[in-house]
Amino acid sequence: MAHLSIRGARKAYGATIALSRGDFDLKEGEVHVLIGSNGSGKSTLCKIVAGSVRPDAGEVLINGKPVSIDGPRAARGLGIATFYQELSLAAHRTVAENIGLPELPAKGGIFVDRDRLKAVAERYISRFADVAGKGFSADTRVEHLREDQRQLVEIMKTLATEAPILIFDEPTSSLDRSQVERFFDVLRELKAQGRGIVFISHRMDEIFAIGDRVTVIRDGETVATSLISQTDPSAIIRQMVGEQGELAAADGAPPAAAAESSETVLAVTGLGGRGFANVSFEVGRGEIVGFGGLHGQGQSAVLRSIFGVSPASQGTIRLKGEERTIRSPREAIRNGLAYVSGDRGRDGVVHGRPILENVTPIHFLRNKLSVVRPGSLRERAAKPLSALKTRFAGYDQPVNALSGGNQQKIVIARWLIDRPDVLLLDDPTKGIDLQAKADLFALIRSLAAEGMGIVLYSSEDAELLANADRILVFNGGSVSRELKGADRTRYNLYHAAYEAA
Amino acid sequence: MSVETAGRAGVSRFSAGALVRQPLVIALVLIVALLALGEMLSPGFASPQQILRLLIVAALLGIVAAGQNLVILGGREGIDLSVGGVVSLSAILAGNVMNGSDAGILPAILACLAVGALFGTFNGIGVTLLRIPPLVMTLGMLGVLQGLLVVIRQGVPSGRAAPALAEFVTRPFLLGLPGIIWLWLLIGVAMAFLLRRTVFGYRVYAIGSNEQAAMLAGVPVRLIRILLFTLSGAFAALAGLCLIGYAGTSFANVGELYMLPSIIAVVLGGTPLSGGKGGYTGTMAGAVLLVILQSILTTINIDESGRQMIFGLTLLVLMMFYGRGRAMRA
Repeated sequence: MAHLSIRGARKAYGATIALSRGDFDLKEGEVHVLIGSNGSGKSTLCKIVAGSVRPDAGEVLINGKPVSIDGPRAARGLGIATFYQELSLAAHRTVAENIGLPELPAKGGIFVDRDRLKAVAERYISRFADVAGKGFSADTRVEHLREDQRQLVEIMKTLATEAPILIFDEPTSSLDRSQVERFFDVLRELKAQGRGIVFISHRMDEIFAIGDRVTVIRDGETVATSLISQTDPSAIIRQMVGEQGELAAADGAPPAAAAESSETVLAVTGLGGRGFANVSFEVGRGEIVGFGGLHGQGQSAVLRSIFGVSPASQGTIRLKGEERTIRSPREAIRNGLAYVSGDRGRDGVVHGRPILENVTPIHFLRNKLSVVRPGSLRERAAKPLSALKTRFAGYDQPVNALSGGNQQKIVIARWLIDRPDVLLLDDPTKGIDLQAKADLFALIRSLAAEGMGIVLYSSEDAELLANADRILVFNGGSVSRELKGADRTRYNLYHAAYEAA
Repeated sequence: MSVETAGRAGVSRFSAGALVRQPLVIALVLIVALLALGEMLSPGFASPQQILRLLIVAALLGIVAAGQNLVILGGREGIDLSVGGVVSLSAILAGNVMNGSDAGILPAILACLAVGALFGTFNGIGVTLLRIPPLVMTLGMLGVLQGLLVVIRQGVPSGRAAPALAEFVTRPFLLGLPGIIWLWLLIGVAMAFLLRRTVFGYRVYAIGSNEQAAMLAGVPVRLIRILLFTLSGAFAALAGLCLIGYAGTSFANVGELYMLPSIIAVVLGGTPLSGGKGGYTGTMAGAVLLVILQSILTTINIDESGRQMIFGLTLLVLMMFYGRGRAMRA
């Protein structure tokens, strides 16, 4: 079998250093957990091993011999197989074909040996047969499977490579209890066979159930490796947080403008839908409510459902005390809601069109306009654009000519020509420069001071800690903890985010 | 913030217009070059009467292309292959309603526009609510229309144009230009206003460029897309009506020859098939260019099938140069 080690791996994307020093060691017959917060460099380290990213410096050794992994195929050649979080299945093909895809058995090098394919697939399917649920068989097409079943197929596909080194990047996110346990049984057998397994998960209970060792990565550096038997969840979280952990969010703490007495502009009760359940919270006038937690725990889904993109199936939404049913963004906008997505390329920018066309759509809708008067539009757009310190040459300039940060400012400005009552921010600073972030938060705080209710989801913990009056920590689609006042520390935030559901 | 010099006239003139205008300039240069070429090949080709005749033919094509232009601007593979069928149907309908009498003109106009808009709306509903790709939806509709034409033509005489309509299309009306040229110019101005000065126009560009962002900004995406197809049907019907004024009577599948050229005129004029940018001014130039090209091909004795082949190739060559707007969203 094989022994993998990485020494001093380094990777930068332009000026951003994704990984500054990665040391990692995987022995034969162990499950080695890799853990770190959003953007800590964990996935970069993983991708280096999987061959999809080449390190700028450092070395990768297999059984003590330096190797260079030039791509996913090279990784396979070296006996490394990876389970990717983003499932890579062929929807129109059967379960068996997907499982066999990495190494299709062939007759005479041309024809697929269907019997052997089926036999290989059947071997793995049988391991999960009693936990896979209804309608799961070798001949089922993947498009007809549930989310958890698809994840099982991806797991089987990785297992079927029979590689000596297996990397599992969050393999259990959609699985239920019994499926996870069966998966862990299989992992234990593989361990006994001497395979090395890298396991990435955010669930402390799983980490402690299956791991032998754990390596913590923080700010692009692997900071500690310990035996699972000699550590505990709090110690791991402390390593993830580092020195700043115990400090309260003192620097630039938001003004305590959100007086308790102020009226509630948005109240959500028992909201449930795809990806979230039983979410309740209130936002007062002038308050900034933060959504925290790991990626994809339902924060975006909640915001988008409030905004009517995919309406919730349960629960009520009250705006300024009155219950509202919001079935589309159009209705949301008419009701005084605003929504800014961090994925400006997909959700915000009208590509290739002039800035003027990009800042005006909300104004048209809220004022029921039908004829455009560019002169007056320019005047109205000027104020929010300058409040955001937007740099642009003219309203006729195509929006794509601007930097990412300035594009996002244009998108935000469209919501501010006519003041909304509630501003929903869905990770709004993703991929924009520091100056733009600073400008954006300065504006957000002044909007709050003027009485707007703001919900801020950010994947950057520092942004949340510095700007939110309260932080609701999401875990598995619902709010697991609320952090207020002096409780708003990085340690508490991580603790709540990583705590097992 | 200094481009106030662009003035009130042009919303998207200075920078966004640069891309769009480049094909427009090319088209105008080509128009002059082709006229010169035609004159060389056959003296008298570029005589004023000849040019006027070309403009009338271009106006017919240009009116069809206006609707095609709108549908293409709306993006999401928007295209209307049924325009030819609507033109034919409208021509037959107009001929039968008017049957050579001026009193029939107004009923003919109303009937044609209503029928065209109706078929366009069907296309729009199929594309939006039933999620049928525009290519398939409008091709299917073309099949339906062709079948319908066969049924109608059995036994029913095809009718004649009213004299006043024929005069409107062929005789000078104002400043030596026939009414149809003025109508076309009016449509040009109306299209420019619609696209640059109305919220509807801004929304058309928004859905053509980034439908998801438009939806999140409260744009009624489906309604607008349906309306684009409705307008396309109505424009094609208007062209069919004018066509019978030009030809005097309707003959089998007159409209069929409009499908491909209407698309080429749009692309020639600088609107990529991916939508979201471009405009109608370029399309007008594209229509004139195509008609001149067609006329030159006729002059040098290339028959209809040859012309169709050349048009098809023209579209493919155009696509290689500026049809690939997809790369925008990198």
